[in-house]
Amino acid sequence: MRTITDLAGDGAPRGIFDELSKREVRRAALTAVAVPGYQVPFGSREMPVARGWGSGGLQVTLALVGPEDRLKVIDQGEDGGVNASNLRRLVVGHVGCEEETDTRQASLIQSRHRIPETPLRADQTLVLQVPVPEPLRAVEHDVREQRRMHAEADYSRMWVGLYEDVVRNGVVTKTAGYPCMVNGRYLISPTPIPRFDVPKLDRTEHLTLFGAGREKRIYAVPPHTEVEPLVFEDIPFEVEHTPGAACRHCGCEESYLVEVPATDGSVTWVCSDTDFCTRNRERER
Amino acid sequence: MGYSGASGGHEAILAAERLVERHRYGGSSDWLAIDQITGRLRLAVDRIMGEGGLWAPELAARALRQSEGDVQEAAQLIRAHRSTLPRVAYSEPVHADELRVSRRISPAFRNPPGSQLLGRTLDYVGRLLDLMPEEQARARAEEPAEPPANGHANGHANGHGHGHAGGEDPRRPPRLLGLLRSMGMLVERRTDGDPDPYDITRSPVRPGVPRSARLTAMARAETGALVHLWYSNTFQPGRHNHEFPGEVRHGTLPVRVSHPLTGNPVTVAEVRVTEVETIDDLDRAEEDRSRLDLGYGMCFGHNERKAIAMAGLDLLVHRDGGRTELEQEVLLTLDGIEASGFLEHLKLPHYVDFRSVLDRKRAVRAAMEEAR
Repeated sequence: MRTITDLAGDGAPRGIFDELSKREVRRAALTAVAVPGYQVPFGSREMPVARGWGSGGLQVTLALVGPEDRLKVIDQGEDGGVNASNLRRLVVGHVGCEEETDTRQASLIQSRHRIPETPLRADQTLVLQVPVPEPLRAVEHDVREQRRMHAEADYSRMWVGLYEDVVRNGVVTKTAGYPCMVNGRYLISPTPIPRFDVPKLDRTEHLTLFGAGREKRIYAVPPHTEVEPLVFEDIPFEVEHTPGAACRHCGCEESYLVEVPATDGSVTWVCSDTDFCTRNRERER
Repeated sequence: MGYSGASGGHEAILAAERLVERHRYGGSSDWLAIDQITGRLRLAVDRIMGEGGLWAPELAARALRQSEGDVQEAAQLIRAHRSTLPRVAYSEPVHADELRVSRRISPAFRNPPGSQLLGRTLDYVGRLLDLMPEEQARARAEEPAEPPANGHANGHANGHGHGHAGGEDPRRPPRLLGLLRSMGMLVERRTDGDPDPYDITRSPVRPGVPRSARLTAMARAETGALVHLWYSNTFQPGRHNHEFPGEVRHGTLPVRVSHPLTGNPVTVAEVRVTEVETIDDLDRAEEDRSRLDLGYGMCFGHNERKAIAMAGLDLLVHRDGGRTELEQEVLLTLDGIEASGFLEHLKLPHYVDFRSVLDRKRAVRAAMEEAR
């Protein structure tokens, strides 16, 4: 006699994600790779984390990861952050893959808000958790109109928005999630990675996948694909930089530094990428 | 925990988990049995099933106990559990006329076809805090359930002077809609453009999706959010009227699937639903002002607030005709799990992006000083 599990074809329900759903995520990811920067809608499932805590990245990671993988999960550059530990624990606990913090050793990296300082290779995949995938939301609230604008590559209002920003403030005040053109066709919001990481998306060796769970979209920047931030010819693209700032642990001036305010109002700086910083310090010793 | 190395996060999480467990399993009171929750917190269980999108009273009760009474959290647990289950089959469509009602009222007509059946409702019960001593309440709970006294439960229906017409089953009342349609009072809204229900759990909803997608989105919406959206739109300037619920029903519906071997429909379960048809007065220039329009709402469990607000919004979105962003709001902002998930993400670290914000503030300041 056939049972329900036979009919489902995938064995007993287990884990946190059924096999048919994983297949759907893989299909969406393949479409995303085929059309760089295009936001592929998918039937995002609820994950055992709050929706908005990386459920999109988690679905992409779970659809890709196998027991042979070495998984690195970072939040704001940190492997040890509470959210990163929690997501890593979830995936490792269900898949049985290896935990990894060394960027060079990881085969799959899920990240919230940072691209590791160490350049990634062709055999590595980066999965970014995306809170607000729609770059046009800043200039157009109507979802139908946003879709039309993407379909017709009509990004004029985005340019006008940037222009008004410069006129009003003297500089472009866009912070994280700076709008970027992918392959000269689709505008993306590169998740809230800081502007500092935007150049790291351009013509990479590795595949970057963006998963937005709450908004049910997956998009990709395949290897060797051009990613250009929207900039005017006479106004250079600026990344976050504070003259004189250096990591108080490893002395690095070139990495993305975050501020550590002291109670007396003074400020020191540390690398946001903890793995990079640790390896820097070990090299010095 | 800050910059304390790679294992601190893991330990902190485990410690937090122990605190959760201490509250869940600790305390000196009796362990709460599942049947107590399904039996005594019925409406909370119904809401969890509705917002979680899964009919499973015992799992919902388990989720409510696990979440220490947080309905939203319990709905999230149920939704995440859904993701572990393969989709084996789609159930066959069931006509809502098959609803076996335990309550059916019509605020629109005194004597609708079929009976008014008051059923279980708080509508006429004084909202006074019951301060009966615990022992007395316990004694009451142990008394055998009252037999349905004639002239009590059904008395209301008969009091309206409507007898059951020849052999008609009071549990399967005819639909008011049919009456209005035969009176020629309704605009024709039936289309053949939405034959299969749009499955919002498999395809994302965006403005432009068929009506079935809106109705499903609202059926899974957070009740409070749905009521708020209906309420704020009902009080829009220029709207001088509210709609009338034609009928409000609560009852059970069969769930049938096609048998995998024979292909015949087989009833595999029953679900309780609340169903509302609501009537609106068409009064705008472009509308047929000689007729009425109808909105529809149906949700899991006994939740009249949700079904009435849903039917009202179904109408409002239709009448709005894409002039405002109401459809977008209905589709994209009512899901409680998504809204609270996004809200809760604010608690996650944001130092990378906050540093980027500070960087721009300093850049603006420098640009201002340069301009001076």
